[in-house]
Amino acid sequence: MSTIVIGLSMGMLLFLLAAGLTLIFGMLRVINFAHGSLYMLGAYLSFQIVNVTGNFWIGLAIAPIIAAVIGALMERIALRPVYDRDHVYQLLLTFGFILVLDEAVRIFWGLEYKQMYPPELLSGAIEMFGSSVPSYRLFIIGFGVAVSAALFFMLDRSRYGMIIRAASGDPEMVRTLGINVSLVRTGVFSFGAGLAALGGAAAAPLFPIELGMGFNIIIDSFIVVIIGGLGNIRGAVMAALLIGMTRALGYSYAPSWVDFLTFILLIGTLILRPEGLFSRKGRTA
Amino acid sequence: MNIVKSTIIGAACAALIGIAGTSPAYADDPEVFKIGGVVPFSGPYGIIGKGMKQGAELAIELRGGKVLGKPVEVTWEDSETKPQPAVQKATRLISSGAQMIFGAASSASTAALQGITEQRKIPLLVTISADDKITQANGYRYTFRTSNTLGMEIRMAMEFTKAAGLKKIYAVGADYAVTRDGLEAYSAAAEEAGVEIIGVDFAPLGNRDFSVIIDKIAKTDADGVVLIVTGSDGVTFLKQAGQAGLGKTKTLFGPVLQDEVLAAAVGPDAVGAASGVRYHYSVDNPANKAFVEAYRAKYNEWPDSFAGEAFDGMSWFLDAVDSTNSWNREEWVKAFEGSVRENSVEGRKEMRACDHQALQVGLWGVVEKGEAPYPDLKMKITNVFQPEALFPECAE
Repeated sequence: MSTIVIGLSMGMLLFLLAAGLTLIFGMLRVINFAHGSLYMLGAYLSFQIVNVTGNFWIGLAIAPIIAAVIGALMERIALRPVYDRDHVYQLLLTFGFILVLDEAVRIFWGLEYKQMYPPELLSGAIEMFGSSVPSYRLFIIGFGVAVSAALFFMLDRSRYGMIIRAASGDPEMVRTLGINVSLVRTGVFSFGAGLAALGGAAAAPLFPIELGMGFNIIIDSFIVVIIGGLGNIRGAVMAALLIGMTRALGYSYAPSWVDFLTFILLIGTLILRPEGLFSRKGRTA
Repeated sequence: MNIVKSTIIGAACAALIGIAGTSPAYADDPEVFKIGGVVPFSGPYGIIGKGMKQGAELAIELRGGKVLGKPVEVTWEDSETKPQPAVQKATRLISSGAQMIFGAASSASTAALQGITEQRKIPLLVTISADDKITQANGYRYTFRTSNTLGMEIRMAMEFTKAAGLKKIYAVGADYAVTRDGLEAYSAAAEEAGVEIIGVDFAPLGNRDFSVIIDKIAKTDADGVVLIVTGSDGVTFLKQAGQAGLGKTKTLFGPVLQDEVLAAAVGPDAVGAASGVRYHYSVDNPANKAFVEAYRAKYNEWPDSFAGEAFDGMSWFLDAVDSTNSWNREEWVKAFEGSVRENSVEGRKEMRACDHQALQVGLWGVVEKGEAPYPDLKMKITNVFQPEALFPECAE
């Protein structure tokens, strides 16, 4: 039973790391290689804010907002001019963002590892099913559920979500209805950047904050996006939980096969349902 | 271009490359002594390069910036913690006249550098990479390692296991060749010592979630956990183990698990973790005191393992070069192999001629809370192992 709790926490953490990527990938059709760097930026910003204020929650709230502003600038200045060009330009551009963001982090914070702790309230562990489960892990499960629910309602039930989905599916039609599609795209990229940073801020107490940390999560994030289906928030949650559970059970019973099992899931999805295991025709959220 | 022309040009290029490749092992009287520093300033070991650079530069400064009566000029390049850039940059430095190469940090990058330095007959000074294969008997003529091997660190971990009275050990390793070899060596020594290995897990290099492994360990009756991981893997494990309270019931230790840099990244959860230590500023001898004083005066910080080892290796190598009074690199190799450094910052060191590995004491320590002027978390050296206990005879 404790393995299931740990699997849930691993899955929800994966979802938090991948949510921004699935949103940008699904809605803008932009493969944002800089997602990992924005995640890293979120962790560093959160570290800095916590260092100044001494409050974890302020870091968790403010870091994504700053990253969202940076994301909006990235989209407005660099990405917007290349939307109509071949996808390779977007790939090169987002790759360039990685170099810029990594260098900026190196200049501001240096190469040393930074550390962050869970807030006092969540610093202990709780005995569950014969295991000592860190409280922060339980928080991650709850936080992941809250973020996924908020995203789902925003994209699937709100007017803004309807506009985003419409702008993604038929931008010309939406433009003729008087909606500023460019602004919608800027908003989506900015929101995705903020989500990436939120993942970084939430993960900071669990991992060392270091310059290469973004690289470590980008492959996992893409696996979640592919298995879940492009832009499919419910799919991303399910995919993240599926991977989390696979890993939790794998580490328990067949540790040498964990990576193999994860990639089998990915390859199986690409062969059998390339649109994603949890996608439904005609919808993107 | 016809085939005859192509052949002639190709032959000419090949001849030029051949001439460059077989350039004499020394120049008569160069204006400067050029050193190529290929160390990581980025990538997983990016944090190591700064200390290596600072330590090596201080070694040069304290000898008046000269060797063989000529100024020393170091060109620093970023190995990016990858073998390919390391080789490309070392090749460029050698082409620009580097008399020796200093680096790298990861064993894979250092192994790659060994290929090019052997081919070009350029001394390679290794002060941090620990893979035992880097210094093998009758192996690489131009490679010298003045720092620890993983093998000696594994032996220290075993000595610690015995001294701490640990009887049941759970082993966790990063899943790559060097650490698998290390864990195999530890397991063999454990069996000999009557210590039971009750579980083994390998996690991918750069693993982000150790929670399942930690939960598995917590449910066993192991009294110790040997962690053959380093860098961010060690930091991640200790952070997550701390949140689950694993350190309260099990002794966490590893051959290269912690130093001040890594302990700072873990935070208070690092307290009590035991580890092999490459170098430490607290080693009580006149050479180390002078080095620490000069280092703190220049950089306003305590020297880390990477700086201390770099300082020691560079000072020793340049002293050996000076002793030859010659620009012939073959003379430098002969002078360095078999040389003894009585006044090393870690005590006596002897460069073994058979494999170019420095015989030296091994330091073992535990993380504890520090007070100003020391870092908040510092290593307390608890054991000093003698070389006889750490280095097997040179195999033929």
